[in-house]
Amino acid sequence: MAFCFDAKFENAGRHGINNIILLNMQIANSISLKLTQVAKHFETETRRVEVLRDVSFAMTGGEALTIMGPSGSGKSTLLHLIGTLDQPSSGTIEINQQTPFALSEPELARFRNQMIGFIFQDHHLLPQFSVLENVLVPTWAFKNNHQDAPKRAHELLERVGLSHRLEHRPAELSGGERQRVAIARALINRPSLLLCDEPTGDLDQKTAESVAALLLELHRAEQNILIVVTHSLELAGRFNRRLELRDGTCVEA
Amino acid sequence: MRRSLIHYWRINLAVIFGAAIATAVLTGALLVGDSVRGSLRQLTLERLGQIDEALVTNLFFRQELAGNLAAAPRFKENFSSAVPVIMLLGSAVHPTTQARASNINLLGIDQQFSSLFNSDSPQMWQEFIAKSAEPGFPAIALNEALQKELGAKIGDHVLVFVQQQTEIPRASLLGRRETSDLVKTIRCKLTHIIPNHGIGRFGLRPHQTQPLNAYVSLANLQRALAQQQRVNALFVSRRNAASASTSSADGVLQNILQENLQLEDLGIRLRQQENFVAIESAEIILSPTLVNAVQTASAELQAPVQPILTYLANTIECKGRLLPYSTIAAITAPVAKAFGEFKLIGGSPVTELAEDEILLNQWASQDLGTQLGDTVKVTYYTVGAREQLETKSFSFRVAGMTAITGFGADSSITPEFPGIHAANDMDEWDPPFPVNLNLIRPQDEAYWDQYRATPKAFIALPTGQKLWNSRFGNLTALRVANSGENFQALLQKKLLEKIKPEQLGFVFQPVKQQGLAAAAGATDFGMLFIGFSWFLIVSAALLVGMLFRLGVEQRAKEIGILLAVGFSARAVRRRLLQEGGVLVGIGGLLGLIGAIGYAALLMFGLRTWWVDAVGAPSLFLHVNATSLIIGYIAAIAVTMFAIVWTLRQLGKIPAPALLHGVTTRERLTRSRLSQRVALVALVLAAIMMALAIFSNETAAVGWFFGTGTFLLIALLALFSFWLRQRRQYDSGLNRIASMAIRYGARRPGRSLLCVALVGCACFVIVAVAANRREPAENEFAKNSGTGGFALAAKSDIPLHYDLNTKRGREELGFAETDTTLLNAARFFSLRLLPGDDASCLNLYAPQQPRVLGVPADLVQRGGFQFQKIGTVAFKDNPWRLLEHEIAPDVIPAFGDYNSVQWILHLGLGKDLVRRNGLGQEIKLRFVGLLASSIFQSEVLISEANFLKHFPAASGYAYFLIETPPLQNEIVAQTLEQNLRDYGFDAVSTAALLKNFQAVENTYLSVFQTLGGLGLLLGTLGLGIILIRNVIERRGELALLRALGFRRATLMQMLLLENSFLILAGILIGSVAALVAVAPHLASRGAQVPWLSLGVTLPAVLLVGLTASGISVLTATRIALLPALKAE
Repeated sequence: MAFCFDAKFENAGRHGINNIILLNMQIANSISLKLTQVAKHFETETRRVEVLRDVSFAMTGGEALTIMGPSGSGKSTLLHLIGTLDQPSSGTIEINQQTPFALSEPELARFRNQMIGFIFQDHHLLPQFSVLENVLVPTWAFKNNHQDAPKRAHELLERVGLSHRLEHRPAELSGGERQRVAIARALINRPSLLLCDEPTGDLDQKTAESVAALLLELHRAEQNILIVVTHSLELAGRFNRRLELRDGTCVEA
Repeated sequence: MRRSLIHYWRINLAVIFGAAIATAVLTGALLVGDSVRGSLRQLTLERLGQIDEALVTNLFFRQELAGNLAAAPRFKENFSSAVPVIMLLGSAVHPTTQARASNINLLGIDQQFSSLFNSDSPQMWQEFIAKSAEPGFPAIALNEALQKELGAKIGDHVLVFVQQQTEIPRASLLGRRETSDLVKTIRCKLTHIIPNHGIGRFGLRPHQTQPLNAYVSLANLQRALAQQQRVNALFVSRRNAASASTSSADGVLQNILQENLQLEDLGIRLRQQENFVAIESAEIILSPTLVNAVQTASAELQAPVQPILTYLANTIECKGRLLPYSTIAAITAPVAKAFGEFKLIGGSPVTELAEDEILLNQWASQDLGTQLGDTVKVTYYTVGAREQLETKSFSFRVAGMTAITGFGADSSITPEFPGIHAANDMDEWDPPFPVNLNLIRPQDEAYWDQYRATPKAFIALPTGQKLWNSRFGNLTALRVANSGENFQALLQKKLLEKIKPEQLGFVFQPVKQQGLAAAAGATDFGMLFIGFSWFLIVSAALLVGMLFRLGVEQRAKEIGILLAVGFSARAVRRRLLQEGGVLVGIGGLLGLIGAIGYAALLMFGLRTWWVDAVGAPSLFLHVNATSLIIGYIAAIAVTMFAIVWTLRQLGKIPAPALLHGVTTRERLTRSRLSQRVALVALVLAAIMMALAIFSNETAAVGWFFGTGTFLLIALLALFSFWLRQRRQYDSGLNRIASMAIRYGARRPGRSLLCVALVGCACFVIVAVAANRREPAENEFAKNSGTGGFALAAKSDIPLHYDLNTKRGREELGFAETDTTLLNAARFFSLRLLPGDDASCLNLYAPQQPRVLGVPADLVQRGGFQFQKIGTVAFKDNPWRLLEHEIAPDVIPAFGDYNSVQWILHLGLGKDLVRRNGLGQEIKLRFVGLLASSIFQSEVLISEANFLKHFPAASGYAYFLIETPPLQNEIVAQTLEQNLRDYGFDAVSTAALLKNFQAVENTYLSVFQTLGGLGLLLGTLGLGIILIRNVIERRGELALLRALGFRRATLMQMLLLENSFLILAGILIGSVAALVAVAPHLASRGAQVPWLSLGVTLPAVLLVGLTASGISVLTATRIALLPALKAE
């Protein structure tokens, strides 16, 4: 199964940002996410906890969605299901018309590597690697994965404003900078889905705004599907679509 | 605390396990020491039964002496029995099969002897003694060991060869040295076989090997040896067995002995004459001890003394006339009247003689036709350095003619020369030296008939002593003039007071006390096995530390919270320490049980796999409570140290970091430190290498080992430096390999610990394995451990003839057909003083080591290799150091380096104190130490010093033989066949060396095995480090999986990282070790067990990878989301 988009992007670096957006918009038409009656429950010793019930929605490339809801409402669980980190108890999730959970573990790993970019509240940078290397890490998962990866990593880091910090270690960066690195890393493989779990949760307001702006700017440029889980109304206010989770069910606001 | 201990039970259980291993290994090693000591002690008690003190002499004495001692009131207070025994060293042969056993103990015993042992069947001994009284061949009982060696069955005949007893020193002119006079063959009938324990294990020498014993009834042996009612040993048991451990230095027994000894026991005879008492010795020559005693006693009694040295001249020649076989007396003149008038013809008394003056008696003077002033040539035999007869002569000036009256007619001036004295006619003489009976004329027979052995000539005593001196003394008689009534009894009493029995070899040895002291062992096996197990102990301690740390890291947040809520760091540390204390305490207690098992296993190993190291399968487990306590405390201390160290490291991490689960600190400055350490170590390694190249072979070994050690440090430091430089993703490498290396570099300290752990273990294992030696077959370099000799031989009965000469070989019974073969060989005969084996083959601490007297020809030849020599003065031939004079009571000696260092616990320039044959204390000073030689059981001194200090020892019992290539076996066979009666045993020097090296090699095997176990434990520790690494990284691993890394890729990466560290360790350790042992590998006989190394090292890799595999598998199976969330 080929999920490699390399050929489509091989000359992307030679075009200006507008050309890239144009190109990405064409690609965006083929990107899709569809959740149908997705449910997730966990079994404890004494009872069954229903986290998500009957969640259904669909998105296409270039769309951005924020998921809100009180703590324990299942926001992160939903994000993890979309990100194929966890399997739904029932229902289906289709990404680009593919059902990822039908794949074997290695195929799923490759699918995730190529299709999904994650940004966590805790950036999860690898401390032993430099900023540049951290961005490149996803490209090391498979052989011949993006020959132009270093170049793209440089571009991404330039776009997130960290071109002067390439050789720095995560420990030497501020919280905002770390999160920018995480954003760059999430985008390195040009994923169809960019999933963010409280990306500004640990940041001060100013930094949070800057990170949010960057995120949306890159989303526009990449024309991927962006889903952000957040408590922040300010961040949520920047998105056209908003999904509210209450008692495991979702309502599109 | 209880809750914490229970809550974290899994990791706590692992800490308990680690502490149990440390305790088991440490305490187990101590128990091995106890067991060896206990077993040796048990063997000592078994072989000696109730014997506490033993008197064994060269001279036979009255059997009645035992009864005299037992009847003494003071004896009864302290001792329970004194048992007379004949104890001889010899060999035995089965006449039918010709099976041979040398170095056997032949014991002449009675019922009393068996009562000294808690015999299982006293009836059997009664029956044996009764059977011995039956006519026919004497009954003999053999212990199982000897019976098996001979393959004899009940009813078979057994030939026993022992040295024929003689009072006259064989090395003197009158000593008999022919085989027929030297070897006594006793044909016996085997009636009983004694088990190898109890009385069957009897032996006075502390050695763990089973002695070969033959028992004959005392009466039968006395008869066979013509020593009726005489014995040469007394065994005494103390009344209170517990007092055996106290020294007999109180001298009670020795005093009782002195009180009950008679001059007869010492071979001294007093003969009452009309006006004087003649003092003579059964040995013919009076010992200096006796002479001193007589002179002191006489001075006290104010009695004049007349010393006499009578000798046999082969010829007295003058003016072409020749007087055969005449006795000449060397005397002091004038002679006191009490000893008889001594006058010249003409009536004037004999006055003092000048050095070259001789007085001929009237008969001799007339026979030779001498005049005053004539020159007379006296020809006589002397005994040369090698006990060969040499004919010498001295010219005298005739100073007068003595009348054959009074002193001049006293035939008793001449001692009773055996073979001469009792002869009716001169042509019936049967002296021990060759005589030409054709020279004897009728007038000589007539003189013999009339005057018997009356001296025909007299010379000055100093001249006689100069010409006929021997190491046994220089007087044949002393006459003390009567000075009162009952003078003989008075003189006898005085003499017995003056003569110290110990000066004549009559000294009770506290054999049990000495045996028990020796049972402490030459080597402390406890410490030895702690040494062998050190890597195991260190690994276990590291394991405890690591496991504890793992536990603490699991609780990092808990610790952070405690600190955050106001607990002081000290209080937290104390709490953790207490928990650690409880865990290692419990682990230690469990370890004590393990210790007994571990020690039992090692003892089993010493009885089976490693039996070469101890040479005896009679070592059993002995558990000593003190060792358990010491081991427990020591193990707790070691493991607690590891825990304290862990907590100390943790104490440096701030609370907020702990709250975030951070348990390690990144230190970036170490890279420079690694660089510097590497540089310094490399420089030192280079310096040592240069020293190794430019120093001698022996010193080079040490320098090379230093080079290897510093190279190990340098390589580890370089590795650390290299690891710390791995900050860039290396695109040239495989992506997974590159990531693996980067992960390895993430915690360089920890990675270095892994590499160092494996590297050090491999260094030890490879270095130890490479040190194995096997003597190179058919290669006998003069400067090797064999000295270039193909054979070394021992004989139970010393030889008195030179194997290098035709005559010597003829005397020893070799056939003409052996001439060519033996002519091609070259023999070096050494004197041997029996004693304790000083080599590593003896587990007991040698009390009186065996001594060899090195002859001048061997000194001149040189050879062997020296580990150390005292001075460079004799660098061309260090053997000459043996002939170098130090001080009267200090004798230069050589020993084998290993024996002197590790068994005698002495060194170059150190003194081995022992008593000489005259009862004086002498110091054998080590002036040279031989390197891995065949002389590991003995101490070597020059023959001259040997004879000076041990004059009673005669003949040669140790031989070094050079043979033409490939002829050593046939030479050995010929010698053993012809010298069978002497108990002659020849072995190849390579085999001898191999025996010693087998011990060394076996110890190396033990070290290697335990080192290997340590390495496995270390690898387990390595596994824990790897698990820690993986657990710490599970969030990262989850992230990588979230980023699309496959589980297999991650496993591959982690395995690659771990195997890289293990391989680096193996490589670094092995390379450094091979450099360290480079000279050894280049030397002859080095035998690297490549096969065993080829198994051990991959086994290390395999175990490491298995441990790593398990950890990796566990980590990569961790659910992805919880891991991400935990992060």
